[in-house]
Amino acid sequence: MSDGRAWEGNWKVRIYERLRERGYDSLTDFAGARPTASLVALAEELGRDDVAGVQVLSGLLAEAEQRKQVTRFVRDVLVRMLCKSLPDGWPAELDDTNRFKVAKALGSWVAYTPESHKERADKAGDALLATPPPPGWRPLGPDDELLLTLLPDEEV
Amino acid sequence: MTSMPRVLSSPSKRPDNPPPVDVSTGRWCRRTRLNETTLALLLVLALLSTGCASLTPLPGRGMNLRYTHGDADAPSWAGEHRKGASAAVDSGRAEETKRASALAAHLAFRGARDEVTGTLRHLSGELSRLEQSHWGIAGESAGLFLPHVEYGQRQLRWMEAELTTATRLALMASEVEDEDMQLALLRLAGPRLEAAMLGSLLLATWADVLHLLDVAFKHGYTSLETLFVEMDRWRKMLEPAMTALASHAPGHLEATAQDMPMLMGHLSSEFNATAQRLHSGLRNTQKVMALAQFVEMVTMVSAMKFSLPRLGPSVPATLGVGMVMGGDGVMMGTRIVVSAEWVEMMRRLVRTGVLSLPVVSAAVRIQAGQVLMAEAHDELPRGVRAALGDGPEVRGMHVTGRTGAGMAEPPRHHVLPKEFREWFEKRGFTGEMDIDQFCVKLEQAHHQAIHGGGNWKLGRVWPGEWNRMIMEALRGAESKTGRMLKQNEVLELVAERMEEYSIPMNFISWSGR
Repeated sequence: MSDGRAWEGNWKVRIYERLRERGYDSLTDFAGARPTASLVALAEELGRDDVAGVQVLSGLLAEAEQRKQVTRFVRDVLVRMLCKSLPDGWPAELDDTNRFKVAKALGSWVAYTPESHKERADKAGDALLATPPPPGWRPLGPDDELLLTLLPDEEV
Repeated sequence: MTSMPRVLSSPSKRPDNPPPVDVSTGRWCRRTRLNETTLALLLVLALLSTGCASLTPLPGRGMNLRYTHGDADAPSWAGEHRKGASAAVDSGRAEETKRASALAAHLAFRGARDEVTGTLRHLSGELSRLEQSHWGIAGESAGLFLPHVEYGQRQLRWMEAELTTATRLALMASEVEDEDMQLALLRLAGPRLEAAMLGSLLLATWADVLHLLDVAFKHGYTSLETLFVEMDRWRKMLEPAMTALASHAPGHLEATAQDMPMLMGHLSSEFNATAQRLHSGLRNTQKVMALAQFVEMVTMVSAMKFSLPRLGPSVPATLGVGMVMGGDGVMMGTRIVVSAEWVEMMRRLVRTGVLSLPVVSAAVRIQAGQVLMAEAHDELPRGVRAALGDGPEVRGMHVTGRTGAGMAEPPRHHVLPKEFREWFEKRGFTGEMDIDQFCVKLEQAHHQAIHGGGNWKLGRVWPGEWNRMIMEALRGAESKTGRMLKQNEVLELVAERMEEYSIPMNFISWSGR
């Protein structure tokens, strides 16, 4: 947990400086090499005290818009949220506790999804709950087969 | 508060002290309290002594307390870290350290709370007994003196209420998985524990005064007018501090803590003077009882026992004997002021910001007795302060909670948006869990940076953007869960988002406390 220093100074410049130091040209490449790491873990790797998870999220979205890969970005974020909430994969039984864990990940994910994709994301979440994946299912990246069927790319 | 240092210091009682006279049920009560506290402490020590961090969950701790072992503040393996170790390993260890720290704080909190609870229980029994003391204070002059007993009982009630609230917050802390949120909730409970802790010291003194009257009446003391006037004066001395502690006004708690050693010192010497007067006014047949024994018999409850000047010809001069932190605890000469276990418990709570150093220091100074109490606003020796967890970051933690003269305060923001107060109220966020309790201060830089997002679309506007995001996340989670979220679930989700926004998890209330 940082103490709020993440918002001091020009944090966008800071993030790209750190990326270059680590041999990456883009946040997308950096995050892509760590497909299941949480937003906070990505931020901490770039700067333990002065980079925030939501800044990484913003940067990833900005890059995805340029690359016209927003849907892929949306799936990428879902993978990270699910891994954080369900480290052992999809629960065998969707009891009250486990259902909350899934719901917490999905609710926050939709809130982080850009307006253009919110409705699709929300429906994908409902579909996941209505037809649950096999126990232990753990998407390892944005190209997970099941996620691709739930939220296929639209962009060209 | 008062019980433990006394109990633990008894082995070092010097032979020149007259043996205590067991005139009440106090002995049994104290033993029970010792057992409770000892258990809590043993648990803390056992956990801490396991040293290395394993991932084994605690047996029998229930589902929610997902802590692991290991020392929180100075892990021995911290220095062995090789540079360049993978971030995953690092964050894994940081995670364990956090858990250990939360666990230690939680256990220390329970220990401290149990101790105050024990003291209050004892005081409650004492006051009820006085209320029924028909040969003493509740006898012929009951009309004059019973109101003072009732005053004590009223004070007892607010302290019990504070402890109940503190307990509820601590329970909530144990039901949240996020360690930062656990500590944040314990920090919300801290001031309530502090108020009850300091209040119990004052109340114990008050009970001693009442007890003194009771004993005097039982032994045939008859000069009521003088006593009545004296009681009134005593109460006026005590009342402002008591009222300040009971009020939730910001800043009052620490200001009262600063003044309390002085006040307690003053009360002790007044008490002593009154005791001498009463003793000489007793019927001749009763005078066989030595004054020292009389005082010993009366001061069953409070810390005044140690602060009273030693009576009789062979008075060992305690003046000038400094306080030091030793292996057994804080020592003053050969006497243990507070035990090492107590110091450790307080250190954990001070380091995590649950209790504040001025409050804990005041308690230690009161236990130390007259010499240190008389030195107004004087700080404890550096070694003792260090043992109690003092450090620059700890000082910073609490200074930010107060407004300096003319200093600009960073703006406060509701983490749980106030536009949706009703939504939160329906989910149990009322009373001590009111959304006004969950505010954070954000420096202007933080504020502006979040505003100045350019074409980066998320995390841009505070508080609007945060409010919109967090309500959407909460509502989304609720609709996907298919029922209303519980308090701990709301806090859990909010804690995760706060971490992503890098918002420090240090809550202050909207009104300032």
